[in-house]
Amino acid sequence: MFTNLTKLDLKDKQCMSDAGSPKLCMKALPGEGAERSCAYDGARVVLMPITDVAHLVHGPIACAGNSWDNRGARSSGSQLFRRGLTTDIMENDVIYGGEKKLKESILEIALRHNPKAIFVYATCVSSLIGDDVDKICKEAEVELTIPVIAVNCPGFLGDKNIGNRIAGEVLFDRVIGTAEGPNEKIPLSINLIGEYNIAGDIWGVIPDLKNLGITLQTAITGDAKFDDIRSAHKASLNVLICSKSLTNLVRKMEISYGIPFMEGSFYGIHDTSETLVNIAKALGDPDLLERTLVYVRKKEDETRKIIAGYKTLLENKQAILFTGGVKTWSMVSTLAELGINILAGGTQNSTPEDFQRMKELMDPSAQIIEDTSSAGFLKIIAEKKPDLIVAGGKTKYLAHKTRTPFLDINHGRKLPYAGYQGMVTFAETLTRTVLSPVWGLLKQEFPPKESEQDD
Amino acid sequence: MSHMKTSTKATKDWLNTLEYREKNFAREKLVINPAKACQPLGALLCALGIEGSLPFVHGSQGCAAYFRSTLSRHYREPVAAVSDSMTEDSAVFGGQSNLIEGLKNANALYSPKVIAMFTSCMAEVIGDDIKAYLGNAKEQEAIPKDLPVALANTPSFKGSHITGYDTMLKGLVECLATARQEDKINDRLYVVPGFDTYTANLREYKRLLKVMDTPYTLLPDQSDVLDAPNLGTYELYPGGTSITEMNDALNAASFLCLQTYSTPTTRKYLASKEVPVESISMPIGIAGTDKFIESIAKFTGKDVPEEITLERGRSIDAMTDSHQYIHGKKFALFGDPDVLIGLVSFLLEMGGEPVHIVCTNSTPLFKKAMESLLASSPYGQGSTLYAGKDLWHLRSLLVTDPVDMLIGDSHGKWAARDANIPLVRVGFPITDRVNLHRYPIIGYSGVINLITMIVNTFLEEKDRTSSDPYFEMMR
Ligand code: SF4
Ligand code: SF4
Repeated sequence: MFTNLTKLDLKDKQCMSDAGSPKLCMKALPGEGAERSCAYDGARVVLMPITDVAHLVHGPIACAGNSWDNRGARSSGSQLFRRGLTTDIMENDVIYGGEKKLKESILEIALRHNPKAIFVYATCVSSLIGDDVDKICKEAEVELTIPVIAVNCPGFLGDKNIGNRIAGEVLFDRVIGTAEGPNEKIPLSINLIGEYNIAGDIWGVIPDLKNLGITLQTAITGDAKFDDIRSAHKASLNVLICSKSLTNLVRKMEISYGIPFMEGSFYGIHDTSETLVNIAKALGDPDLLERTLVYVRKKEDETRKIIAGYKTLLENKQAILFTGGVKTWSMVSTLAELGINILAGGTQNSTPEDFQRMKELMDPSAQIIEDTSSAGFLKIIAEKKPDLIVAGGKTKYLAHKTRTPFLDINHGRKLPYAGYQGMVTFAETLTRTVLSPVWGLLKQEFPPKESEQDD
Repeated sequence: MSHMKTSTKATKDWLNTLEYREKNFAREKLVINPAKACQPLGALLCALGIEGSLPFVHGSQGCAAYFRSTLSRHYREPVAAVSDSMTEDSAVFGGQSNLIEGLKNANALYSPKVIAMFTSCMAEVIGDDIKAYLGNAKEQEAIPKDLPVALANTPSFKGSHITGYDTMLKGLVECLATARQEDKINDRLYVVPGFDTYTANLREYKRLLKVMDTPYTLLPDQSDVLDAPNLGTYELYPGGTSITEMNDALNAASFLCLQTYSTPTTRKYLASKEVPVESISMPIGIAGTDKFIESIAKFTGKDVPEEITLERGRSIDAMTDSHQYIHGKKFALFGDPDVLIGLVSFLLEMGGEPVHIVCTNSTPLFKKAMESLLASSPYGQGSTLYAGKDLWHLRSLLVTDPVDMLIGDSHGKWAARDANIPLVRVGFPITDRVNLHRYPIIGYSGVINLITMIVNTFLEEKDRTSSDPYFEMMR
């Protein structure tokens, strides 16, 4: 919780050239407060939205028990991915090893749950007792007709980002490019990378892609089907959504399959348009580009008209923005489109590049949140007295305790904010949050002071 | 062996057959949709209930982040805890340096009155000796020598959250209480709620004890910590059992444990210190509550106040008003042992039939107790306890041998949906409904609340599904 940056043990000093830059490159400080999750969690976040495969956690109960369907990634088809599958390692397994149990679990799943593939996650305990998850998966695969894929991501390897990267590698090594049939590129097709369909985000973008004639080969991994990811190498372009946690993956795909990549974001009107236009440019089709330019202008006008009323209500509100990582910079411009000023901004899991970009977009007077702990956060709320806080769920109840309107933009939210339609939802939700009569009620003195009673 | 080639639809249908149920119950190695949490989560909940106590996870940080978010989602409150973030290096060299540095930082940053330290699996697997490490930490002056640090070994590959709760509670008493002195015996009843995630239950216990004029200490007491008033500032330590009362715990006139299966270690410890200790089932339902009230009355030696008698009368009146909606209905239940005993006893009182009872963290003692409870009532004759089974087993039971309602926590919603029956949420965690932890399920008022939830859910269903001729004003 409390972090003193100067005290931190840095693995890579360069990352800290900037005050408040994200803590990507450092270990969590023992005893500082357990805000950050682990590599296992990071891997699961990336892989779990693949909907028609089984996700088997080889570990004691809690690794699976606590993370079972906890992210709000939505599926339009199979719901198999949400099932909490675990070997539930017990004391005997710790003593004698859990490989046999793991093997039987894999076979049981293959036989009875009809998955397209099985991902098997190693956790702290299974790694420490020396279970060879790779070996077991290979053995099982010989007996089965579906891929059984080991994900070596014990929590102790580090935090979430490391897990994200491991997941990217697993997808590249074991899934992408394994589809049967011809390998030629699908014209005007893209993959969205790092889009997990939280609250149905991706469904706010697909209509625009369709209208423009762009084919979504697959998202990695929101609402994804295993076979579509196997064919991800047939796409003409990779679009990295906000986060760079999967940069390793798009780089490798560029080298191996010649798929160029670009970054983009579908949060906010401006960024959505810019991303669509950039996709059109990158796909190199003059017709498409022309269509897109006309399309986004029309969409922008329409959307601005719809949100104008909300903007009047939100104009000049002062916000603190703090994200877990992915959407930081995009959120800065999204809030600006509603006339909201940012008093202070910070990020926890982003890359230094994301952070730089966020900083450039913010008003120079905005403060960078350096101390990203709860304590630092409370301090900044007390100093700045913002009208609202836009952050991830971990900060939600702290914000409420300080009587500050709060909007969750991470996976705890229940509404999609991506694309033009998402912007309308976002504006509407934000307005409801900020203007709730509850805040006024909380600010009333009770019992009322004498003077107030008189008038 | 080859992978079954069936369509998704066919698989779905097959999952609902008796044939699959048999195969499902033959499953041994794999757990699907578990209905238990792990030891450290229980330890964390326990630790929060002591004044100025900072929960400290010795182990990998991911676990700690999970525990916090799970509790936070249930209570809709911030949950404080630190971890010493063990990594690969610690796996090789042991976690001592993390533990010492962690203690130093945690103490400097949070100024706790007591640190409640418990382990995650990782520390347990590599065999860290936290007691020795703590000694070294104090030796090295990482923390003041007189700062109390309570210890609990909580490997998740044994037991469940209720085991962790128990071990931590014992650790806290062991660490904070001074030795029992016969001339210093206090007049208080120390009441242990057990792994109880209803802040309202804790408040209700306190109210009842007060009404019965009992000198008491609730140990631990998370009610103010996890249901803190909104006063505009965030308090890190908003309440809990006071340190003074902790110090005096072994001088208690007596201990009363209100859950049997989440307190055995603590009870054993107390008994070894010659503290009188009694344990009863969680006071859910009339019989359970009566027993609780009787125990208190026996302790104080005073008559049961009229206020309580009237309360009981009102609950029984509510039962008579609504018995017809529960009598003869079939139920499935899942949850922790103590809660299940209470709920089943309540349903039997109302003539409800608890047909399927699933308890993932069952023990042989619990099995015996549940079976004798079922045997004691004609409404329990068709009931089966499924010990050690998970929610996927429960699903099979629900689709092949249907019941009218499922009672359990939010994790049960998939099974309930597949079986097309309503779920009434009781237990932990409840992450998809608001405020339920603010309604007591214990005591006579708990009886009324349970009736309200169960009966109104049935009536709601009836209104939603009935055709015009049967849609009516009166139910
Ligand atoms: S840190 Fe280890 S034990 Fe904890 S949740 Fe992550 S993988 Fe599981
Ligand atoms: S590794 Fe152990 S302590 Fe950590 S979450 Fe998993 S079961 Fe719990």
